Amino acid sequence: MRLPRFFSKKRGHRRTGSREWGVFGDGLFHGTLLLAGLFFGALLVSGVAAPEWRINHAFLESRCTILAKGLARTTVADLPAAVITTWRPCLRVRYVANESVHESWSDGPSTENTPDREAALRRLAAWTLGSEATCWYDPAAPQTVVLQRGYNWWLWLLSLLLPGALVLIGGSGLVRGLRSWGKSEEHRAASAGLSELLDPLAQPTSAAPGYPAVPVWDDLVNSPGTMLRYRLPIESPENWTLVGFGLFALLWNAVLVVLAVGAGLDLLGGRIDWWLFALLVPFLGVGIGGVIMFIRSLVFATAVGPTQLEIADHPLFPGRRYDVLLAQGGTGTIRSLALSLELEEQATFRQGTDTRTEQAVVWKQSVAVFHEVNAAPHTRFEARAVVEIPPGSMHSFTSSHNAVRWRLVVRGTPEHWPEFSRIFPVVVFPPDDEAKEPSPRPAGSGEASRSREVSR
Amino acid sequence: MTKGVDRGPAMPRVDMQFDRPHRQHEPRDQISVRYRIEGCEGEHIRAIEHSVLWYTEGKGEEDLGVHFFQRLTDRALLPSATATGAFTTPLPQSPLSYEGVIVKVRWCVRVRLFFEGSRDFVSEHVFTLGRIPPAQLVSSRT
Repeated sequence: MRLPRFFSKKRGHRRTGSREWGVFGDGLFHGTLLLAGLFFGALLVSGVAAPEWRINHAFLESRCTILAKGLARTTVADLPAAVITTWRPCLRVRYVANESVHESWSDGPSTENTPDREAALRRLAAWTLGSEATCWYDPAAPQTVVLQRGYNWWLWLLSLLLPGALVLIGGSGLVRGLRSWGKSEEHRAASAGLSELLDPLAQPTSAAPGYPAVPVWDDLVNSPGTMLRYRLPIESPENWTLVGFGLFALLWNAVLVVLAVGAGLDLLGGRIDWWLFALLVPFLGVGIGGVIMFIRSLVFATAVGPTQLEIADHPLFPGRRYDVLLAQGGTGTIRSLALSLELEEQATFRQGTDTRTEQAVVWKQSVAVFHEVNAAPHTRFEARAVVEIPPGSMHSFTSSHNAVRWRLVVRGTPEHWPEFSRIFPVVVFPPDDEAKEPSPRPAGSGEASRSREVSR
Repeated sequence: MTKGVDRGPAMPRVDMQFDRPHRQHEPRDQISVRYRIEGCEGEHIRAIEHSVLWYTEGKGEEDLGVHFFQRLTDRALLPSATATGAFTTPLPQSPLSYEGVIVKVRWCVRVRLFFEGSRDFVSEHVFTLGRIPPAQLVSSRT
């Protein structure tokens, strides 16, 4: 029997890691998580949860007399050079247990420990020397007695949540690995239902019913148009720029405020930290720059006015023509407003530890161009055009890491502002029986007779 | 064209015959294939998998969708080392074969042989679904 190789060949000339070693490493990782979860869970259950449960369920009730009071001090080394001291109220009580009289210092959960000695003293003052109180003792060890019962729910939650999360992630990863062990990639893909449920990072793509790998179009037809059947949702790159600048300005200036408050408090206290002030000057410059960029993007996004696109039908089919209505709001003159139909490919791939996405426009056709467009606040510019999906063209396609997307793009050149573009995604289906117009197969593709055999 | 990789104890060969000329199929067509296994005399086949699937090629990570899958493990159903096999399945509406710039969609028939021990052998035969012409780059960005 030979060990699997660390590297195996993928399609093309790229080397990829061996699947067997990958599954082994994945199993090792998830097994470690599972063991860590079980270990910490056992520690928390045996050290915290079980003693508390016993006090509330197994200890017997009795009456006791309080004879003495004191604070129990616990000192724990806090490396490298400090110690942490905690305090817990303790009571010496006399009580009857198993038909004999006992005297003992009361015990209690370690969660009663507090680093605040004054708080521990205040809790101790609530007990009066010589008074009687209810106590509970351990029938198996009568010298163990407590004067308070109850549950620390946050501790139970902690003891369930943290190890529980480790057990869940590790266990599901192990089950997924075991389910796929020894199976071919076709077998795994054919029985992917449970595996996807067990994989929290899986991103299954939803497909149109009866059309595998064609994206659903529900989100594109849930808004009716004013003149035509549907108003298409917009994807505006400028809006993402606006959100990016806004987030940057907010976060950067929040840090700046925290530093400035610290410097101000120092100044009020009569101290001047020159290093902090020197740091604040460039920070302030970047913060002001971020705010200016955000305001500029905001003004740009709102000054041009909204663009709307309505379409007569959806989804679209190759070889068919569709009426569209382009509407541009806002004020001022737009030198040119162009509507085009584009086909874009998108590929997501890993490069080292980064995940990158590359887009390529592989087909583009101008639908209509309008010059010197004048829009007023109450009279938007409106124009109709006809979009034709070319016969024999590729349908919309989506999978986990790859996509082929159709979109209508509006590009405008305002008189006093930078150019803008607004994208309206559409879904194109494969040709149906009525619209099927097969185009001749292009020469040179030559893939029809390709075969490949791999042994491992 | 048949290409072999990693020659082990014996390099089997699977000759595949499609029912359509040029391996050109249309959506919702019935695809029927017959195959012949050769070159693994003396080795015992413990399982055979038939699958019809699409996968992506190009810049992105590979995605794969299995349309038809059949695993034969019953000794009575398994062919002997030099026998033939056949299977038939209707093809779906999508995705169509596509020769894009950074995304390509390919359809294929795979026959995977599992031998005694941990060795397996896969034979892949590409066919075309639909008639989409290849794409050309207009512009790209990352």
